[in-house]
This record gives sequence, structure tokens and C-alpha cells, in this order.
Amino acid sequence: MTPSGPRTDTGRDSARRTRLRARVEAAASSYHELPGWEEVAAHAAGLSDRVAVAPSLHTTQPALAMRLEAEGCTVVVPGDEDPAADVADVPVAVVGGELAVVETGSVLVAEHGLADRVVTMLCQRLVQVVPAEVVVDRLEDVAAWLAERSGRASFASLMTGPSRTADIERSLTIGVQGPDEVDVLVLTGTDPVTEEPTP
Amino acid sequence: MSTLRPFEERYATALADPDVRGGLTAFQRGWRDSRDAAIADLEQQEGRSFDELRAELAGIKDGVLADWEHHLDTFTTNARAAGAEVVRVATPGEANALITERMQAAGADLLVKGKSMVSEEIGLNAHLEAAGIPPVETDLGEWILQLAEETPSHLVMPAIHKRRHAVAGLFERVLDRPFPPDDIDRMVKVARTELRERFLASSVGLSGANALIAEGGAIMLVCNEGNNRMSVALPQLHVVTAGIEKLLPTYADAMRQVRLLGRSATGQPITVYTNFLTGPRPGQEQLIVLLDNGRTAMAEDPDVADALRCIRCGACADVCPPYGIVGGHAFGHVYTGAIGLVNTSFHHGIEAAAGPQSLCVSCGACATVCPVDIPLPVQILEVRETVARSESAGSAGRVTRSALRAFQHPGLVDVGLRVAGVVTTPLRRDGVTAVPSALTSRGPLAERIGWRTPPAVPLRPARDTLRPGRLEEPPRLADQPLAGRKVQLFLQCLSDRLAPGIPIAAAKLLRAAGAQVIVPRDQHCCGLPAYDSGEQDTARDMVRQTMAALADGADVVTPASSCLAMLAHDAPHLLRGDTVEVERAQELAGRTYDLISYLASGPGRLPAGSLDDGDRTPVTVHRFCQASNTLGRGEAIEAFLRDVAGAPVVPLPEAGECCGFGGSTSVRNPELSAGILDRKLGCVDRTAASILITDNPGCILHLRGGVHASGRGVEVLHLAEYLVRRLPVAT
Ligand code: SF4
Ligand code: SF4
Repeated sequence: MTPSGPRTDTGRDSARRTRLRARVEAAASSYHELPGWEEVAAHAAGLSDRVAVAPSLHTTQPALAMRLEAEGCTVVVPGDEDPAADVADVPVAVVGGELAVVETGSVLVAEHGLADRVVTMLCQRLVQVVPAEVVVDRLEDVAAWLAERSGRASFASLMTGPSRTADIERSLTIGVQGPDEVDVLVLTGTDPVTEEPTP
Repeated sequence: MSTLRPFEERYATALADPDVRGGLTAFQRGWRDSRDAAIADLEQQEGRSFDELRAELAGIKDGVLADWEHHLDTFTTNARAAGAEVVRVATPGEANALITERMQAAGADLLVKGKSMVSEEIGLNAHLEAAGIPPVETDLGEWILQLAEETPSHLVMPAIHKRRHAVAGLFERVLDRPFPPDDIDRMVKVARTELRERFLASSVGLSGANALIAEGGAIMLVCNEGNNRMSVALPQLHVVTAGIEKLLPTYADAMRQVRLLGRSATGQPITVYTNFLTGPRPGQEQLIVLLDNGRTAMAEDPDVADALRCIRCGACADVCPPYGIVGGHAFGHVYTGAIGLVNTSFHHGIEAAAGPQSLCVSCGACATVCPVDIPLPVQILEVRETVARSESAGSAGRVTRSALRAFQHPGLVDVGLRVAGVVTTPLRRDGVTAVPSALTSRGPLAERIGWRTPPAVPLRPARDTLRPGRLEEPPRLADQPLAGRKVQLFLQCLSDRLAPGIPIAAAKLLRAAGAQVIVPRDQHCCGLPAYDSGEQDTARDMVRQTMAALADGADVVTPASSCLAMLAHDAPHLLRGDTVEVERAQELAGRTYDLISYLASGPGRLPAGSLDDGDRTPVTVHRFCQASNTLGRGEAIEAFLRDVAGAPVVPLPEAGECCGFGGSTSVRNPELSAGILDRKLGCVDRTAASILITDNPGCILHLRGGVHASGRGVEVLHLAEYLVRRLPVAT
């Protein structure tokens, strides 16, 4: 999804994002509003010096890897051969979200290929980046998005917080087979996603 | 087909394990708080009640079943278009053969499994192991059970019957290193490491499906741990097992299910991962196995077809009092909780369904939380009837049947109880039969009656005392809402013979309010005990007898709310084959009241303060479970006591939960009944009130017996008995 043109941050949008923040935090993720990709790179680089980028995000936003490297990170974009091995020890991963849902604080991630999926499954900390334009109110908006794309093979995952279990005595434990920590970054700035890094 | 141990063995094992009861009580309480808060949030968010939301989802599921083949075809066509292979199978045998064959063809030597109740239903693991493809469960709870060589005891929290020290001990034994029991975090992390290796090594994966979305040919799969995502994504062959009832027409319908599923299952607004899979990923094969195994037969049976709406949230177990004592290994079969008592006979045969039937106390709690509004208690009684008719009921069933048939004859009952009254006279003390402690402290009787002192058998039933002219005229209330009104008192068979003080007190109160109280001579039993025991023909006869006895068009008032539940709720259902009878039952239901509804909001409505004698001794109130769950009564008794009687009421924790009487359950499964009673009396202790009030005679005899046997100093009174004490003194 490519935002077109400059964005106007209307009062309604910001009220909606306030509600999104509350839900995201209630789901035990952290919430951040950042102006653009430069700040995304700085955020991820602040978490680790080894960062994986989902291949589909890398395709639409090649500048991110360059920016991460400029921040001193080793960047891993898993390939098709053995993607799980590629990302096995990478602590932080960045993916793009298709929608962010105010109702539940969820981010919808489309990840059809295995290389995309291993990124969200195997990292310890997952950074989900969503443009402010695709913050939607209700689960029905997700249904409409899925229905529009039905008819072809796909895998879309509505993710809400870090992986968790309560299987032992209903005691909540965070971090089971998926990430221990999730950062939701909402892009509010006006820089187009394909913008080249500034030197 | 089943590889489970016999029911009696599972029941005995569960009772013997203190972890089961202790862990489940804590679990049920925690679940209740989270679920109620989550549902309240949802109601506010949607501006609609839980009942409206669940009716909507139920309507969607019913719509699917009404046009089942069409939706199955749409799903199949769309899933195939996205590259999946879809195969419908009729039996577990076919499913197991197909899955095993495909996995062998894929060269599998290890299977990573996400949670799938259908795979449990068909016993897939055993087949795969025999074929040299060891399955590894990847859901933490399921993995724990696999290591312990056990089966799930709950639909959503499979290992909830195991406490942390047991899991730590298991891990120590299997993984050969120490695990501190309080370090759950460490146990989870170890599971992550152990399982991750398996994920990366396996070439085949299996998952269930929370919904099959016809519109997109998509599978909806929810999980919190992330394991399902891995067992779906990593292997080269992904097998999906799903029951054919899992269909939903559209993605929007799936969202309606999502809203209710997480909240009902774990109190979460949504699970961490809600995945929508359409076809295989590039480089992968996907096989979707759609299983019938009795589902078509269920759909064709109008008494149980609604059970196909089930979304496997587990809520019906989370509120179930017997489940809280024995857990799902006894309360259910492969499918546990209330739904297991309905669908087991269709998936695993009547024999598998028979044992657990006797554990349900018909409290109605499950129906109040089911997010697809399945009338579970009514369906359980339908299955129970089938069990009772079958050979599976065994000798206990034959004894029950004969006893109930004898009970149909009031003359026989009267003679029997009058004899018992004479014989037990020397033992009669304060409303109980004081059985010598030498008999109840040890030996076979201890288990059966040691925990609950039996009621005294009076020499005279209530109907004798209530004959015209025998009962002394009670003092009149200043207000006479019933002045000149004829009221037929329905005594209830149990209190008539075993607690005559209750109907007598009710008669006095009604008269004090001005009523002309009639006790119809031909009344006997509303049929509830027979209905609860699965003896529907006997129950129908008794309902008809009761309708005839109460045919006079005057109001009917009963001090037994259970009889009201029977006459108002169950009788029309029992008589559904004959519209004239249904109309008669409805006409009777329309003029029948229990005492509280008659005096608090019915024709006998008493004004505030009219029974206030100034006594301020605190009381607490047990709400008869069926009154809360089936009749929808809230805090009517508490409000009445406060407003009309001026009594300080201490709220009872879990006030509407069953006390464990449950009709025949307390006789057939006394240990279970004792466990539920113990939980109830523990709640009463927390109030520190010295008077416990309720309004169902069965509960009263049960609670009195428990209080007496445990040496507690609590007085258990029927609402009528308490109120009659507050009548003005006759001048
Ligand atoms: S009616 Fe009560 S005892 Fe029976 S299954 Fe439902 S909750 Fe359990
Ligand atoms: S019967 Fe209802 S409450 Fe029980 S598991 Fe199914 S959907 Fe949930």
C-alpha cells in the first residue's frame, strides 16, 4: 500500500489514533507515532544492531535497509532458499502492516511467502510499521480488505500484541512461539515511502 | 471410536487428585471475572446486549446449516481455486487413512501439530505413530499433555487440570533437569526452545480451523502462542482438519465470531493471532480434510441440531459446577464440558456418552454464557433420555426407572414415607435425621451420607396440616393485596413430604396477605425428577397429572422455584408434539408463580416495610441456580428482603451457582455433590452471616444437611419460613 500525496492530520484522525494507542497498549505492545522512515530506521537501530526486514517491505521500501545500515545495523532480508536459517538469530525484525485496527489494537500483516512469515514468527522483537492512512475503526474494515482480495492464495494475519500463553494455571506468560515484544509504529509524516535517504 | 479409559475410572481418578478441584475452582473464578469484564466492554462498544450479539452469530450459523451443501460447495470451489486440495470424509477411519497416506507420500518422519480438536476426535496421533510419523503437539498445553500421556481436559485450556508443580515435575522427568515449580516463565521458554527445533525439522504440519470462510475459500485460525502459524507455514505439506460445521459465509461473519470467541474463551477482546489462510504458500501443498462423523445426523435431529453452532470456546465448561470438581477427563469424553455431553453420542457413540450424563446437575449455567446460544441443558436432557433408553444406562438406570415409575403413584409414596417417618422418629432432631456417627464417620455409608445429614422424615405431610380448618388463622398484614383472591398452593412433592414447614409457611404468608388459599387434592409432582433422569415418558405423564390437578383457572403459587422452572420452561418443551397440550401448558405457566415473584412483583406484591419487624440480624441469599439461569431472576430475593422485610443482606459470592443438590446427582454421584456443596458453604462462610435464605426446597434440604454434617452454625431457611417469623404477632 502506497500512500499518495501529502497527508492531512485531521482532528478525527488524531482522535482515532488516540484510541488506537490505548488498544495497542492494552494488548501489551508499545505504540509510537513517527513522521517517516528515517525515524523508523532510527527506532529499530535503537533496539539492536542486527535487524531483519521482511522481503515484501524491502521491495516497497528499499531505502529502509540503507537507512538501517547508515545507523550502523547489519540488515538481513531473508531469501527463499532457507529463510528460517537466515533470520534464526536476528533479534529485531521490521514488517509493514496493511491496516491498523482501532477496535482491537491489531495490525494486519500480509505475508504470503515463507520468507515474509519467518520474519514475524522467529524474531524476538517485532516492529510493525503502518501509515496513518490505513488506520481503520472496525474489524469489518479488515473483512472488507480481505474480501476485496479473495480469490487468490494469500496469508494475512491480524496480530494483536506479543505472543503469549496462559496454559499453565492460567498464568499469563509473554513470548511463546512468537515475538516477546511488539512495537507498533504509525507513520504520520508527509514523506513518501519511496523517498531516498537523505545523506 | 475411543481409546479413553472407562468413565468410572476417569471419574475416580479425578476425584482422587486434589489438584483437579483446587486448580479448576481458581480457574473458573478467574475466567468468570475476565470474561464478564470483556463481554461488558463489548456490549458497550457495540451498543448491543450479549443476547443480541449471540443471537446474531447463532443466526449466521443456522443460516449455513439451512443451506449447507451450497456453502460447502462455495468453500470448496474457492479453496481449490487458491490451490488447496479439499476432501470430504465421512468417518474417522477415512480421515486417518487419508492423512497418513499423504504424510507418508510426503516422506514425513515427524509431524508438527497445532491444536486441533478434530484430530483428537478421530484419534489421529495413534495412527500416525503406528505409521512411523511421530506427531509433536506444539500448543504448550497440548505438549504438556503429550509428555504426560494424557488427553485434553478443556477445549481451549487443554492442561488446565494440571498445576504448576505437576508440570515442573513432568518437565524434570522428561527433560532431565531441574524446574522450580514457581518459574512458569522458564517452563514456557524451555518449551519454546524444545519445540522450535521440531518446527524447523519437520516436513509436514497440521492445524485445525476455527472457521471455513466460504466467500474466500479461506481458513481462519486463531492462536495466542504463535505455534499454529509455524506449523502452518514451515512444512512442505500443511494438512487442515475441520468439522463440516465450521463454515461461515463471509469474512464479515468471521469477524462477528472473532468478537465473541476470544472473549468467551479467555476474556481477551481478540486472540494474539487471527490468521486467514487461503491456499498454500508458494512451494507448499495444502490438504483440507472436512469431516462429517455424525454431524449430518446431528443436523437432522431437531433436538440437537443447534449444537452444530458450537465455536469451541469452552465457556460452557468454565461455568459448570461439576466440571469445576472433576474436570474434563470425567465431565465429557473427547469433547469436554456441556457440549461434550451433547455431541459425544454423535461422534463417539452412545456408550461413550452414557457415563458423564449423570454428572450434569441441570443448573442451566452453560446456556447463559454460550456465545452461540445453544440450549445446552435442554439438549443434555434429550441425550440423557436416549442414554436412559439404551442398555448403556445399566443397572443404575433400571433402578432409577423403576423408582420413578413407583413415584408416579402418590398413594405409594405416602405410605412409604409415613412408615419411614415412624421408623426414624427416635433419630429426628431439628429437621434432620441424626444418623449415629458410628455409621457416618467411616465405612461405606461415610462417603454416601457422611457429608450431608439426611432430612427428618415427618410423621405428617404438609397436605394434612393444610386441610381446611386445620391451620390456625395467621395474623393479617395491614395491607391486603390478595384480599378475596383465590390462590392454589402447589406444595411440591419433596417439601410436602420432607419439609412440610415450607409450604405451611407459604400458606400462612399468602393468607396474611389476604388470599384464600386452596390446596388442590390431586396434586403430586410436576415431573422434574423424572425429566432430569431422562425418563421423559414418565415426566410427561406427571406434567399432565399436574395440569389436570391445577385446571381451576386461579393463580398457582409454589414455594418451589424448581417446579416453576419445570412448568413454565420445560413442560411446553416436553409436550411439543401436541399443540393443544402445549397451549394448556402455556396457559398454566401464565398463571403460575413462585412465592418471590408473586409477593415481589406479582398480584401479591407487598409494600415496602410491610414485613419489617425491626430485627436486623444479617442474612445472606443463595440464588437457586435454575431461577437465575433458566428463569432469569436476578437479585429479587435480596431486594425483597431489604425493602419489604428490612433485613440487612450480605451478598453471597457466587450466589447463583448451584449448591450441588441437582436432583438425582447427589444420590448417584455423592462425591461430586459434596464437592459442589463444599464450594457453596465456603462462600457462605465468607459472608459471616448466620442465616442463609433461599427458595428451593431441594437446595434447602441439601444445604441444611451439609451445614449439620459440617458442624456449622448457620440456619438455613426457606424465604417463606424466614418471612413468616416477621409477621405481626396476632392480637
Ligand atoms: S446445566 Fe449446569 S451442570 Fe449441566 S452442563 Fe450445564 S453448567 Fe454443567
Ligand atoms: S457449546 Fe457454546 S459455550 Fe460450549 S464450547 Fe460451544 S460455543 Fe462455547
